[in-house]
Amino acid sequence: MTLKAFAPGIYPRSEALVQATRDLDRGRTTPEAVAEQRERDFRELVSVQQSAGLSLLGDGMLAWQDVFRPLAEAADGLDARPLTRFLDTNTFYRGVLVDGEPRLRNPLPPPDLPDREWIGTLPSPLAFARAARDEVSAEKLAMNVLAPQIEAWAGAAFIVLSEPFLARDEGVGELIRALAELPESVPLALQLPFGDVSPVLAALAEAPVAAIGVDFYSTSLDAVPQAYPKEILAGVVDARSSALESTEEIARFAEELACRSPMGVSLTPNGDLQFVPEPIAREKLARLGRAATGLAEVA
Amino acid sequence: MSGVRFLTREIGSLGKPSWRVKAFAGRPLDESDVESAESWGRRLDVDGHEALVEGLRAGSLNLPEIDDWAAIYAIRLLEKVELDVLYDGEQKRTEMYDHVAAFAGGFEERGIVRSFDNKYYAKAAVVEPPSVGGPQDVEEFEFVRAHTDRVVKVPLTGAYTMEDWSYDEHYGHEGGLGASAEHRYDARRRFVHDVAVNVIRPNVEGLVAAGAEWIQIDEPAATTKPNEVPLVVEGFNEATSGVEAKKSMHICFSDYGALWPAVLELEDCLELQLEFANRDSRELGTKDEDRPGYADTLALFKQHGYPGVGLGVLDIHSDFVEPAELVRDRVLYAAKVLGDPERIQVNPDCGLRTRGWDVVYEKLSNMVQGARLAEDALS
Repeated sequence: MTLKAFAPGIYPRSEALVQATRDLDRGRTTPEAVAEQRERDFRELVSVQQSAGLSLLGDGMLAWQDVFRPLAEAADGLDARPLTRFLDTNTFYRGVLVDGEPRLRNPLPPPDLPDREWIGTLPSPLAFARAARDEVSAEKLAMNVLAPQIEAWAGAAFIVLSEPFLARDEGVGELIRALAELPESVPLALQLPFGDVSPVLAALAEAPVAAIGVDFYSTSLDAVPQAYPKEILAGVVDARSSALESTEEIARFAEELACRSPMGVSLTPNGDLQFVPEPIAREKLARLGRAATGLAEVA
Repeated sequence: MSGVRFLTREIGSLGKPSWRVKAFAGRPLDESDVESAESWGRRLDVDGHEALVEGLRAGSLNLPEIDDWAAIYAIRLLEKVELDVLYDGEQKRTEMYDHVAAFAGGFEERGIVRSFDNKYYAKAAVVEPPSVGGPQDVEEFEFVRAHTDRVVKVPLTGAYTMEDWSYDEHYGHEGGLGASAEHRYDARRRFVHDVAVNVIRPNVEGLVAAGAEWIQIDEPAATTKPNEVPLVVEGFNEATSGVEAKKSMHICFSDYGALWPAVLELEDCLELQLEFANRDSRELGTKDEDRPGYADTLALFKQHGYPGVGLGVLDIHSDFVEPAELVRDRVLYAAKVLGDPERIQVNPDCGLRTRGWDVVYEKLSNMVQGARLAEDALS
């Protein structure tokens, strides 16, 4: 059994970066100054992940205002809509306006990280379609927007497709058909943050992805069937809680999960860490790494 | 239908004057801040505003004095536009969540979290059962009471919203990993209960003992988790049941379809004050197709018959000033759908704190005028 730990998704900005972006909005600083602070945040995040012993590095998506926006802005036929609440959080994203045939115009560049050592995060095609109020199909978004983006990130070790809506909605078939349109050049994972995945976990065994991300703060361990045929990205750090997890508890839980013999287990947060302040996220990364390292040593 | 009279009210917050903001931030005032205090003082006929202007210019006022002046200005503005029911624009509060979390024991600040784009909000964690040493807002209420003869409605942040907007490091943390949905629900329920009983209720009882006639419980998080609407109702009832005052609830930017049937269990709730205008067309008319922002939710009020409607007629996220005729048509449409204008009162969608006072003045003036036009039409 493999055991890795990593943190996909949007990482919280430091207070310095928040202040810089706030100052930029008010005309008190320059875009260059914000970019410099963002670079400092990025380097610090890389260092934190390395110190934590995480197996793969995330870039924290520090310039992303939400998981859809950069793609919507980089694609013809898509634009940002008014604010929409993100699930049952007090954080909002901008939905996607469809005003033409969606086509990725300029793929987003990969982060400045060594090949095969980093993870990328993109919206799942179904989430993308739902954010666009289904005015365009998940398959079309997969083919015309996500596929070229994945190709542009061919150096990634893993690309995590974030799917926040499926646990609350229908659409497994639609999602699986759309996932089939994505290239196989990079291993893909489908993460279902902040939701109980038990109703769809069995069906997702058929999805053309290598791993399924499960939020174990919303999903009972009993929902995972024996010998699940995919790797489980076990959401064992609660990205919506300021409480710090016990590494022993994480390790115990991971061992129980492993007893169910899925194809593999990796430890992750249960969603983007941006839902906690940066100092708390940093400590959560440390604990995630300690738990995984301890387990690997035992194994 | 003769003789109908729609009460006009604000919901809660108004923006704070620049001289109040800068003074509390420790930033120097410039002449435009002082001129603003002077011009609004004249416009609103604020007695003795010259003392404020002089004090601001001389830097001789302390923060509580400046706070009092801001509240008086807000009260005068709300009187000037001829609202029937008012408060002080929450001038003495930081923000609806922090106002409570900073006062009650059991909460600790944790830092900032993104709201959207580059906007962030401060968030606290509950670390032990919340409690207070006494009612929080009595002094604030007595100040308002002493400075207006209008009906006063006191806005209070609800227990469920306090729970939903807080991190939980006490109730549900232990055993959270892999826990059942029932375990999580029970933890949230205990949190709501403790806030309602140990924080909100002492405030409600203190306010009513001090003479408050109307308590408004604000629950903007009410439908964030649709299956937890019963907790919103429990929190309201535990905080207010048996209290001798008018009681109402404000909810906004939510999925109102999730509220029923649970809200039928609200005890003695005069009305739900909801946001509608944000979803509506700006065209005149009283047909279903003219009022897309109102039809579905009003149908729920009609279907269930309880409670009354606090009809949001002003979009608080826009500087668009709703003409009085548009307000009139929104009210008339609601009266037509419900078949009973007595179930309707009139208010903005939410607090107007994100709008400048010039826009607020015009919006609220037109709201009152529109309500009068609707009354005339129904008569």
